[in-house]
Amino acid sequence: MSGIERTEAGLASRTAAAVGVVGRRNDARLVLAGTTLGYLLLYLYTVGDLALTGDGGVTVFVVDDLSRAFTSLGFFRFEPIALLEAGPITYLFSPLNAIVALVLATLVGVNLALTYLGWVQPKACGLEASSGVFAGIPALLSGAACCGPTVLLVFGIQASGVLITTFQYLVPMAVVLLVGSLLLIGRQVDPALL
Amino acid sequence: MGVAGLAGCVGNSGVLSPGGSGSDGGTPTDGEPPGSTTGDGTTGGSNDVLPAKDPPVAADRLPVAYDVGKLRNSVQSGGPPKDGIPSIDDPKFVGTAKGDEFLDRDDIVFGVAGEDDVKAYPQPILVWHEIVNDVIDGDPVSVTYCPLTGTAMGFERGTTEFGVSGKLLNNNLVMYDRNTDSRWPQILATAIRGGFEGRSLREFRVVWTTWEQWKSLHPDTVVLSKKTGHVRNYERDPYGMYTPKRGYYNSTKILFHTLNDDDRYKPKTVVIGARVPDGAIAFLKESLRKAGVLEGQVAGVTHTAVYDDRLDTAYVYRNPDGVSVSLDGESATATIDGESYAPDALPLEPVHAFDAMWFAWSGFYPETEVVE
Repeated sequence: MSGIERTEAGLASRTAAAVGVVGRRNDARLVLAGTTLGYLLLYLYTVGDLALTGDGGVTVFVVDDLSRAFTSLGFFRFEPIALLEAGPITYLFSPLNAIVALVLATLVGVNLALTYLGWVQPKACGLEASSGVFAGIPALLSGAACCGPTVLLVFGIQASGVLITTFQYLVPMAVVLLVGSLLLIGRQVDPALL
Repeated sequence: MGVAGLAGCVGNSGVLSPGGSGSDGGTPTDGEPPGSTTGDGTTGGSNDVLPAKDPPVAADRLPVAYDVGKLRNSVQSGGPPKDGIPSIDDPKFVGTAKGDEFLDRDDIVFGVAGEDDVKAYPQPILVWHEIVNDVIDGDPVSVTYCPLTGTAMGFERGTTEFGVSGKLLNNNLVMYDRNTDSRWPQILATAIRGGFEGRSLREFRVVWTTWEQWKSLHPDTVVLSKKTGHVRNYERDPYGMYTPKRGYYNSTKILFHTLNDDDRYKPKTVVIGARVPDGAIAFLKESLRKAGVLEGQVAGVTHTAVYDDRLDTAYVYRNPDGVSVSLDGESATATIDGESYAPDALPLEPVHAFDAMWFAWSGFYPETEVVE
């Protein structure tokens, strides 16, 4: 095993140990659950699956052809197969969008929980707080890529071919950044001190 | 009744021929072989034989101001893949009472009044689908809408259907036909790629109006149902809002590359545009609201636009003799030589016209005449 591989294995095992601590501490679990849920809702809102447009009643509608769940609508965006309305909330359920959202949200949640542990552990090691949150931002931006990146209006940028191509990589970019950030934070949390 | 008749019912017959006849063409074999109809003579590259029967095309090509190669190179991705914005292929309709349950009086609808069928297509639904493959008066048609250019247009489709390619030209929806996969920018209504390259579709008028105005004039109308076969949040417009105008519709920003920048007016200023054999002419909609009747010249020929306040729209006529037209706003009638006519039924030669955002119109037709 080369030195680099040993280092990577060390990082991963140390991060895994730190994640294990998250599972054992109520306060860390609370941070994990709260952040995961918050990011999940935020992501679903930015991709347009979740909105406050309900008319107050309860509506459930499921399409006849469930195979549409696999139809791509864009970059890591998939066709919803059910509409759920309850009170002011409208949710378009796309199983694959939900999976993407859950993966991203969990990564953000674990990042935040580890950041929290680094913050409360007895001996601080110069932990860079909240880098995990920022790593999730690209994925939020990807939500605007659906029907013309209207988010660009806010910044006054015209969509070029390069920019549109870049939108394709926002979700995978977010995953890479979140995993990288997780390893970085995990390295700085010492399970022995918790 | 055919779509030609349908077009007449809304006051503007279909495809405008370079001969100025306003003819809607006829069957594909009625027209000259592709490549021999030069229109304004600025495009090329047509094929020698028709690749397929459908979609039916006009006998004459509509004006195209650019070389087709330049247009093809200017096409760009809008983000979604082909059919990522799904057309509605099995539309369901409901009556006005049901329509009132999900439409507000000021919601934008796109109206088509045939002899037998009178239908409204709500903008809040079409913004998610852009194309409805429907049948009106027995004729297979596509009612199309591009949110980024503010254009609602109708085309005959024959036995095929149109779909959303996911590409844009000058910010305008590029459609594809499911028979040959030819690419048709909506405003040009002329294929720029594929077997139908250089051929123009047969068009019919789709009126941009409000739900209240449409059902007042056509109380027997039906309206496209939200049961589209797809799950979308029809209460939310991804680009902004029309009542009141917000977001993209009210912004001076344009999202994608434009073919031409003409800053005489704000980009989203609405014009009633008409293509004529020798060019194009645009009437500012706000000016039409105030003046009622406007006249402009294209290659020395007078064209008259008449406002119809019943639907907040206007109709354009070729008026080579310069016949005087006046409008009585109270009774919504136009008068010629003491005779009264509905604004959509003047005894002049109708020219196909439609609402468009200024930047889009001037992008496709940079030499356009403008009347305000």
